[in-house]
Amino acid sequence: ARKFTDKHEWVSVENGIGTVGISNFAQEALGDVVYCSLPEIGTKLNKNDEFGALESVKAASELYSPLSGEVTEVNAALADNPGLVNKSCYQDGWLIKMTVENPAELDELMNEDAYEKYIKSIED
Amino acid sequence: MVLPSLLKSCLQLSCVLRTPKAGFRSTTSGGLIIQSISNDIYQNLAVEDWIHDHVNLENRQVLFLWRNSPAVVIGRHQNPWQEQKNIKLARRRSGGGTVYHDLGNINLTFFTSRKKYERMENLKLVVKALKALRPQLDVHVTDRYDILLDRQYKISGTAAKLGRTTAYHHCTLLCNADKFVLSSVLKSPYKGLKSNATPSVPASVKNLFEEDPSLTYEVLLDAIADTYAMQHQIDNHITLINPADETVLPGINNKTKELRTWEWVYGKTPKFSVSTCFNMVYKDSVLDVKVDMDVKHGRIEVCNIYLPEQWLPPALCSELVKSLTGSKFCPNEATTLATTLLRLCPQDDELHSRWNLLCENVVTLM
Repeated sequence: ARKFTDKHEWVSVENGIGTVGISNFAQEALGDVVYCSLPEIGTKLNKNDEFGALESVKAASELYSPLSGEVTEVNAALADNPGLVNKSCYQDGWLIKMTVENPAELDELMNEDAYEKYIKSIED
Repeated sequence: MVLPSLLKSCLQLSCVLRTPKAGFRSTTSGGLIIQSISNDIYQNLAVEDWIHDHVNLENRQVLFLWRNSPAVVIGRHQNPWQEQKNIKLARRRSGGGTVYHDLGNINLTFFTSRKKYERMENLKLVVKALKALRPQLDVHVTDRYDILLDRQYKISGTAAKLGRTTAYHHCTLLCNADKFVLSSVLKSPYKGLKSNATPSVPASVKNLFEEDPSLTYEVLLDAIADTYAMQHQIDNHITLINPADETVLPGINNKTKELRTWEWVYGKTPKFSVSTCFNMVYKDSVLDVKVDMDVKHGRIEVCNIYLPEQWLPPALCSELVKSLTGSKFCPNEATTLATTLLRLCPQDDELHSRWNLLCENVVTLM
């Protein structure tokens, strides 16, 4: 099940590995992504650490880690095709994969329903 | 830089800015206009970082006014080798393309909470200020967030950075910049460079001063501060700040230092590759040389130099390639390496002159 942060990142954990990306709300707000700056494999992240940035139409927007863990994979497709983040933010446009050092942190995140409600509340 | 028509003071900025819900004595919505007393690009970029990191912008907005002595400023994900050479160079933290700054260019930074981030509104404010000064001025904002004069000349470019809770949008405004220097430094010197770094989009530019010589830096600054104050219902009061003052901006000198480092300006370049062929003329012959390099974090990751066989001892060539691999993509460093390797060679004039010719050409690529 996908969980969301209040900064519009999502994480989905399978077999102890979390896949991280940004939500549809975020990619729409960002506009066309032209460059993805992502960390090296092996980088250790704490929850809320800045792990990279997405550049879109001249705004550089920072990315914050939803969990604590180590980066195991980085989406190489984004180097040549950063637009995947817009076209397929929940599938092909994933950003990084990481280990989940502290599964309890997942409970602090919002589920899909809660996130939908959250978006509605900030849109007003 | 004295603007006699506006009240100014050097308040203890840290007190005002860092207290979460403190406003000015008479502000209603909470806003602040500040102006840098420095013309140093690194110091001024550091002020932006400082405000971005330390100021609570929940109920407050800040307008930062600054200008710099000549420098070229590249975007966060750009390639400095692709953009320019031979002038002071800085990399900012916002995205976007390369710009030339000098004292004839005004920089405006609009700080807001991330929620209130709104570039169009800010640019419309600038246009409003310009039209209040000169109603006949044909200026408008494009959907690329440029401001155009007479529908064709770019007088302002925009970039932005979005953080966790705060955001800033900054833009330039061409008042009386040196257009000759501008066009020569913004010309790309590089061929054969491949990367997915953010490209720059060239444009025709014009100074507001050329359109109307009474539009000086001071007049424009006043008008913008005026309009901003009116819009945010705050005192038209500019606070001067000194970007070197640690008591007002604790930690700022470290930020400035970081912005000056090779690691930030060059090392943050997205991975790129150089693939180029050139001719070397040596005595009576013309030699074809091919150089391929992959550069990551500003360092040469992979290096190949293809020369006519036996023109130089193969062992020496492979030593050069080996030494270059892992070193900075930097002319000084490459020259030092080449000189060091040459000292290990026999004193053979022919060899030395061939070697120097090759190395000079390779260093020119950097």
